[in-house]
Amino acid sequence: MRVGYFLGETITNLRRNLLMTIAAISTVAISLLLLGGVQILGMIVNKATLGWESKVEISAFLRDDISDGELQSIQADLASMPEVDDIDYVSQDEAYEEFKQLYPDQPHLYQSITPADLPASVRVKLTDAKYTEEVSARIDGAPGIDEVRFGGDVIRRLLQINALLRTITLAMSLILLVASAGLIANTIRVAIYARREEIGIMKLVGATNWFIRIPFMLEGVFAALVGAAVSGAVVLAANAFLFPPLRDFLPFLRSVFAFSGGEIASVLLVLVGVGAGVGIIGSSLALRRFLEV
Amino acid sequence: MIRTVDVQKEYKGGIRALNGLSIDIEKGEFVFIVGPSGSGKSTFLKLLTKEEEPTAGEVYVAGKNLASLPRWRVPYLRRNVGCVFQDFKLLPNKTVFENVAFGLEVIGRPRAVVQRQVPQILELVGLGEKLDRFPDELSGGEQQRVSIARAFVNRPLILIADEPTGNLDPATSVGIMRLLDRINRTGTTIVMATHDHAIVDSMRRRVIELENGDVVRDQSRGIYGVGT
Repeated sequence: MRVGYFLGETITNLRRNLLMTIAAISTVAISLLLLGGVQILGMIVNKATLGWESKVEISAFLRDDISDGELQSIQADLASMPEVDDIDYVSQDEAYEEFKQLYPDQPHLYQSITPADLPASVRVKLTDAKYTEEVSARIDGAPGIDEVRFGGDVIRRLLQINALLRTITLAMSLILLVASAGLIANTIRVAIYARREEIGIMKLVGATNWFIRIPFMLEGVFAALVGAAVSGAVVLAANAFLFPPLRDFLPFLRSVFAFSGGEIASVLLVLVGVGAGVGIIGSSLALRRFLEV
Repeated sequence: MIRTVDVQKEYKGGIRALNGLSIDIEKGEFVFIVGPSGSGKSTFLKLLTKEEEPTAGEVYVAGKNLASLPRWRVPYLRRNVGCVFQDFKLLPNKTVFENVAFGLEVIGRPRAVVQRQVPQILELVGLGEKLDRFPDELSGGEQQRVSIARAFVNRPLILIADEPTGNLDPATSVGIMRLLDRINRTGTTIVMATHDHAIVDSMRRRVIELENGDVVRDQSRGIYGVGT
């Protein structure tokens, strides 16, 4: 009977100030969605950089007219450097094969070129990505080398941008979380105000403070959980409808936009947990100073 | 049942409401608190439910010192002290039955108890036929009966009434007083603040007169006052 009473009171309250309830729910939903976005962005960055950092290598593209002697001296130079981990010679034929494997679904791409169109190269793996610039500067301009390329700069900038994005989004979602706790507190204050007469009588006849508080607490937690559910639904929808076309559209990021059920579940868990926390904090804020007599 | 020892009350801003009141009220007594507006009647009643706390002195209700009663015990004190007010304090969107039931529900009484006791008490106050009416369909006297039913349905030890007849015509007031008298005869202690000469004079019960926060008269089987 008590459970029924509490639920009934909660639902009545939520209905009585529907507009405030909707405002509170949507603020919670938006801020949690941002939080979820931050988490997913973090997972994307992690996956991307994990793949890339281990793949940082220098490609020294060779001139088509390179002599055997020049090639051998380049390889010997590199082999003598302590920062170099591994050297791999990629011939024009091998480069063509790799190209074919990179785009297996797009035969028109590799059918339009021949092995002779692709340069041979020496690929240098380093013991640490931080030596990239140093080593490439040392071999750049050696006889027989056309161009030295490495991805280090791009990766570093990507990491910086990602870190910045994460910080901004995290800060925004924190601000919004505080705002949603405030809105929930306000919703409950309005509900209390609307029912101050009833509350007065409840106190008069000796209802305990917790008995009076619980429906309002439930109201706050309920609004926050609905907000969490909305944001969770958006995350699930993105996982089902947004990421698959993204994977098709950006084949080289295929692995980055693939999330396991566990990863999605952990995001949802955080959303619901933070949502419940926001609800409880918001309700307690509103209830702290009332029921003093 | 009720004992105050040199109770003083000073509100914020230095307004003195009570100047050291020492009053003893025995179990089963019917006591009128009389005196002009601002004499401290309402403040005295509020001390009994710990709605206000004294600036100095002690208040004992049902053997308990209210100063040492922790905040979370106050609701349990109030279950032993029923309150009736001049303005009834009924919920307009609830029926007579629901208003009285509300008082039981919010202190966690089981549904079976509510279903049994509410019709009983409404029968006692003479509203057995009007369970499903809303407060605004009732006369003032009937509304006050509902309010008394709510205060008494829990069988409190003490019933406090702050000018319960203040809004009622004399004939209706007599009916309310008969009801309070009946409740008093069940052993319930009643403390009633009033301005109503006729009632006090006809009941001939103990009268405590306050003036500017002091007891100026305490008389058993008294009348409202001489020359007032």
